[in-house]
Amino acid sequence: MLGYAFRRIVLVVPLLFVISFLTFILNGLSPMDPAEVVLHAQGVPVITDELIAETRSDLGMDRPLLVRYGDWLITCLQLDFGISFITGDPVWSLLGPALLNTLKLTLVSSFFIILLSIALGVVCALKEGKWPDLSIRSISFLLTSMPVYWLAALLIGYFSVKLDLLPTSGMNSLGSYVLPVAVIVVGYVGIYFRIIRSSMLSNLNADYVLYGRACGMTERSLILKVLRNSLQVAVSVFGMAIPIVLGSTVVVENMFAWPGLGTLTVNSILGRDFPIIQAYVLVLAVAFVLFNTVSDLLNAAVNPRLRKEF
Amino acid sequence: MKRNKTVALLASLLVIFLLAGCSGSDGNVKQEGAQEQTRELVYATAKDINDMNPHLYPGSMSAQGMIYESLVENTPEGIKPLLAESWDISEDGKVYTFHLRKNVTFHDGEPFNAEAVKLNIETVQRNAAKHSWIKLSTMLDNVAAIDEHTVQLTLKQTYYPTLLELSMTRPYVFLSPKDFLNGETKDGVQGYHGTGPYKLEEHVTEQFAKFTANEQYWGGTPEVKTITAKVLPAGETTLLALQKGEVNFVFTDDRGTDSLDVEAMQQLVDSGDYQIVRSDPMNTKMIVANSGNTDSPVSDLAVREAIWHAIDRKTISQTIFNGTEAPAETLFASNVNYADVGLEKREFNPETAAKLLEEAGWTLSGGSEIRTKDGRQLTMKLYYDVNSNSQKTQAELLQSEAQKLGMKLELVGEESSSIANRRSTGDYELLFNQTWGLAYDPQSTIAAFASEASYLHTTKGMAQADELYRKIDEVMVSTDEETRKALYKDILTIVHEEAVFIPLTNGSVTVIAPADLEGISFKQTQFELPFERMSFK
Repeated sequence: MLGYAFRRIVLVVPLLFVISFLTFILNGLSPMDPAEVVLHAQGVPVITDELIAETRSDLGMDRPLLVRYGDWLITCLQLDFGISFITGDPVWSLLGPALLNTLKLTLVSSFFIILLSIALGVVCALKEGKWPDLSIRSISFLLTSMPVYWLAALLIGYFSVKLDLLPTSGMNSLGSYVLPVAVIVVGYVGIYFRIIRSSMLSNLNADYVLYGRACGMTERSLILKVLRNSLQVAVSVFGMAIPIVLGSTVVVENMFAWPGLGTLTVNSILGRDFPIIQAYVLVLAVAFVLFNTVSDLLNAAVNPRLRKEF
Repeated sequence: MKRNKTVALLASLLVIFLLAGCSGSDGNVKQEGAQEQTRELVYATAKDINDMNPHLYPGSMSAQGMIYESLVENTPEGIKPLLAESWDISEDGKVYTFHLRKNVTFHDGEPFNAEAVKLNIETVQRNAAKHSWIKLSTMLDNVAAIDEHTVQLTLKQTYYPTLLELSMTRPYVFLSPKDFLNGETKDGVQGYHGTGPYKLEEHVTEQFAKFTANEQYWGGTPEVKTITAKVLPAGETTLLALQKGEVNFVFTDDRGTDSLDVEAMQQLVDSGDYQIVRSDPMNTKMIVANSGNTDSPVSDLAVREAIWHAIDRKTISQTIFNGTEAPAETLFASNVNYADVGLEKREFNPETAAKLLEEAGWTLSGGSEIRTKDGRQLTMKLYYDVNSNSQKTQAELLQSEAQKLGMKLELVGEESSSIANRRSTGDYELLFNQTWGLAYDPQSTIAAFASEASYLHTTKGMAQADELYRKIDEVMVSTDEETRKALYKDILTIVHEEAVFIPLTNGSVTVIAPADLEGISFKQTQFELPFERMSFK
């Protein structure tokens, strides 16, 4: 197991190199002169050629791409992602708090997504084709297909304005979590509980269940066995769910004025604040790779057969 | 087995408690909010106030306008004193002597005096490349502190809009010299202490910024003690937050886009809690035609005139803006200085438009629906701001009118920064734009006609381009009022005849405020609001 874990982790390193390089050159692909982008980002009303030349040398953009990439990578390894074009603040001082806020939202949401998905998936699988299964599936179908911003507006309108129970937006109290978490959970549970359900169903029809029954195992212990086996699929799915939610809270954050990564990135993209965009893509890519690796390791721990494939 | 059941039960109880706990604690927060909000203003802003350094450009102008002040103020009655009580201008118009207001201090207690003025203006000048849009930055020769309260500005040559440019929100406003970083402001500052009616109390990036009344303000302490700028990126949430009272003030933002549509505003007023106040025309919204794009039909005067005649401004004003914006027939409204020169109106008239095109050789032939001339099709791209609903609707209206004329308009929605980039590089045929506003019209907007980074591409293909640029140079250094009037008349007539700036409507600043708020007025710029004049009944 240790050897497998080691090999798996070593593989991550070149992958991260490729990601970081791609992230960096994406910047260079923009048709606009980077120095001009900086000046636009700073809101300078009139940009002259002289000013562009001055900015270019100030930012060291007159050096070759590879040299700049090397410098950037070295500073990134020290968690220094450079300086925002717009505000001049260190990128990490903007990205750090935003990442933390989004992480809070993501973790709370993921907790409920996992809990609800498992609960609903199990209920649906056990009552396959009966009314609980049918009603849960059709309701979730309806909720999942609702546009996020619309659902958010409906919930704010009802719970915040009409019933006056929760704040409309912002991140001030525990109550601020309820609506954004609800909107995210509704969007994802509808997808994930189906995975649990189908995995449960295929396990329920497996030979070992029949054998277990024949041996006189109780229904309850049988179901627990089936659930445990079904969750193996779920581990990798949920492992990826966290970074997916992390990267897709943009609309929810925008609607609820949540001061997180989504809001920061959208503003940075609109303002062409490249250092922030680069750092965001890098952080998110690392998160994906990391969670993927962790879920692989978890799966390998549960299922010894997987370790041999490497 | 039993243990698992217990765990499941505990887990579900935990969830219920969590949810119940959330809504419970929240009720308390809300009540506190309701009590507090009676005496303060909380305004919604789509973007964070950003860097408040008044000598650079990323910050919110409305927030900077609360904190910092300039030497003089631009009012409908002309230039009035602000931090300077009075001033003298030398005979040749090159030396300005300002007598400063006494007993004014910065928010950090530092005295506002001639030395502070000198340090501020000099640090702005040392970063002059960034301020090239404001012509004064290229004209200033030196600043001298004559005594504690007298400052002398010497120009390289006569420049009549000097006082106007000194009155602008930035960069010639004053920051406490203690906040300078190594004697400069161009690489950031250590604090945001101005002399204005409000101080920046607290700023949490992407969440809110809180301003409190400056008790030592030379003009008297403002009545509204606290103003909070709350970041609400989505217009839908803004409406709901206004209904709930979490924010109670909204105004047209820096970019001239309203976060609320006309219907939503009416809904708020009908509730009895809010009032709408609108300013006089502040700017002109228009379509800019790139006369310098010789590959495009838009370089043909007849095509530009035809587009002008194909725009139904009355319908735009009434149905798209619900009467909140008036139709504009010329580049500048008649309340803009020097702009009331009686230019000939080009009415909405598809027949005239068709006739103009026909006469210029753009003809329909062989059953085609698009006119051609010398084998070239009458097809153009019109760029609009993808975040502006009104621009998109106007573009669609114009597209359908143009189609009837045998002219094909392709609509392209882009981000505002990308459109700004197209304007300065000349990579466009037609695009939506607006004049810079009362404080900048006509002098700054007209100076921009000849500036490569602004409208040079728009104007350079005109037959009378050279004459236009010569007159623009002349008007900026003119000393005699009559000559200036005559020159402005010529300039405005040339761009009107050449139909490169096709006016649509006159934009104004819209404020939605609590019904019991009094003293809502406007400045001569759409970028600031005089919060210090407001009070609750």
